[in-house]
Amino acid sequence: MIRRLLFGILTVLVLTAPAGAGEPAAFTTDSLEKIKAQYAGRPFILSLWSVNECSYCIAELTFLGKFAKTQKRLPLVLVATDSPEFVPAMQKTLSEFGLDKMDSWVFDDAFPERLRHVIDPSWYGELPRTYLYDAQHQRETVVGKVSAQRLREWLKKHKRAN
Amino acid sequence: MNIGVFALLLAVGLAPAAASAMDHSVMPRPANGALAVGATLDGNGRVWLAKVERQQLWVSWSNDGGQRFSRPVAVALEPEDIAANAENRPKIAVAQDGTVLLSWNQSLPKRFTGNIRFARSTDGGRNFSAPITLNDDGRIGSHSFDSLAIDGAGRVAVAWLDGRDRDAVREKGGTFAGTSVYFAQSADNGARFTANRKLTEHTCECCRTSLTWTAEGPVALWRNLYGTNTRDFALANLDTGKMDRATDDEWQIDACPHHGGGLAVDGRGTLHLVWFTQGKTRQGLFYKRIAGGRESSPMALGNPTAHASHAAVAAAGSMVLIAWREFDGRAYIAQAMHSTDGGATWNAPQRLAESSGAADYPLPLTDGKQALVVWNSATEGVRVLPLESGKPK
Repeated sequence: MIRRLLFGILTVLVLTAPAGAGEPAAFTTDSLEKIKAQYAGRPFILSLWSVNECSYCIAELTFLGKFAKTQKRLPLVLVATDSPEFVPAMQKTLSEFGLDKMDSWVFDDAFPERLRHVIDPSWYGELPRTYLYDAQHQRETVVGKVSAQRLREWLKKHKRAN
Repeated sequence: MNIGVFALLLAVGLAPAAASAMDHSVMPRPANGALAVGATLDGNGRVWLAKVERQQLWVSWSNDGGQRFSRPVAVALEPEDIAANAENRPKIAVAQDGTVLLSWNQSLPKRFTGNIRFARSTDGGRNFSAPITLNDDGRIGSHSFDSLAIDGAGRVAVAWLDGRDRDAVREKGGTFAGTSVYFAQSADNGARFTANRKLTEHTCECCRTSLTWTAEGPVALWRNLYGTNTRDFALANLDTGKMDRATDDEWQIDACPHHGGGLAVDGRGTLHLVWFTQGKTRQGLFYKRIAGGRESSPMALGNPTAHASHAAVAAAGSMVLIAWREFDGRAYIAQAMHSTDGGATWNAPQRLAESSGAADYPLPLTDGKQALVVWNSATEGVRVLPLESGKPK
């Protein structure tokens, strides 16, 4: 009985544990499905950025870092479209904004187009870009910087299901 | 209590990283970060190549259309970080007297900072002058996306995106949309440069600039900011400062497209433009030509379902050559098409080569006779691909 109870607690812990307290994971063609499975029945925010040549991404991360402090357990998944060789630079940037404990991924494919296609076939690589997934994983696309108002309203509407 | 379960529980509590995102560790791999090359054709039909390796810019040339290249010569004595990925590439040009001119973007350790660098060779690429920094604001700031054009007879222009105006405004607590375009010119094939001049303020921050030398002087193309956030292209003559809106795509986006445009001028003085947009008016990759105040309607390029992207254009005499990259789900493809009547009619696009891994954007070269596409890729290395000639359709 105790053992069953413990396994139950364990399962809950595994499912709710923040995934990204460490190095960013390699984002490959099946990663989005894994993220969706991890957030099954729950809303999440898929935020795409790059450490290279993207001043708007830095503005976005600055905002997200502040926003995450005001929101308990923000279901934020950060995906950088750089390649794994940029992980040290990514980590430096993310820790600057207090986002280094978030669930974090980095593109790992010789063909970033393949990964972009998995996420959204109509996306040519403009950054930042955000997908707001509701609990049923129907999503809204935000092209360019996401506004605090939009994110707040979306969270108000969907986070209750979290 | 089962000690094993307890230990597991403890481990989960202590190491919340154990969820699925961590199943894949990021493996180190050889850096593919410096695939973007510069290339040009000189007056003798020689192909010149500028390539970044091991924090050095290496210059070599080929007398046989790119089948064999000379032993590469390092431009600088001291290594430095050189931007050579995506839309950042070293630039190379060869003047009529054989002077080899180079510009590139040195990356500095602070985020989004760099220098625009220049060096030249007056002995056919055997030795190079010590590199100089062209941006003269003396600040560690944003200087990026350089473009280089020469008239061949001694005049040189280098234009780039420059953050000095934005930084100055922000330091006083103000706001500044976008960045600026600055340039420097030389009248003696790069022996000396004039002080920097500002071309314009409020431009997009993260797309390449393009520069070509017309009979009326150097003309630049860049992604500009119109209104608050409309990122369409502008053209300007650096000598006169006359600026025109070049595209009316109405692409409103509060983001970095990372996708600029290309510009070339043919023997008749017609301007040839290629660019990318996701605007309200049109979406995709386009070409048009501008002559005497009249312009052709935009012509779509490439297969949009294959991510046709990052087109570049070259022109000389009545030859116009456009190259771009596609991804067919399996490999990168270098695509090109050409016109032998100044862009009035076009041959069907040609699939020139594939790359099974990371690849640069293909770079078109023409001297009016040869039509070549230079393409670097991680697996296959630098390839110089000739276009099959054919009658315009």
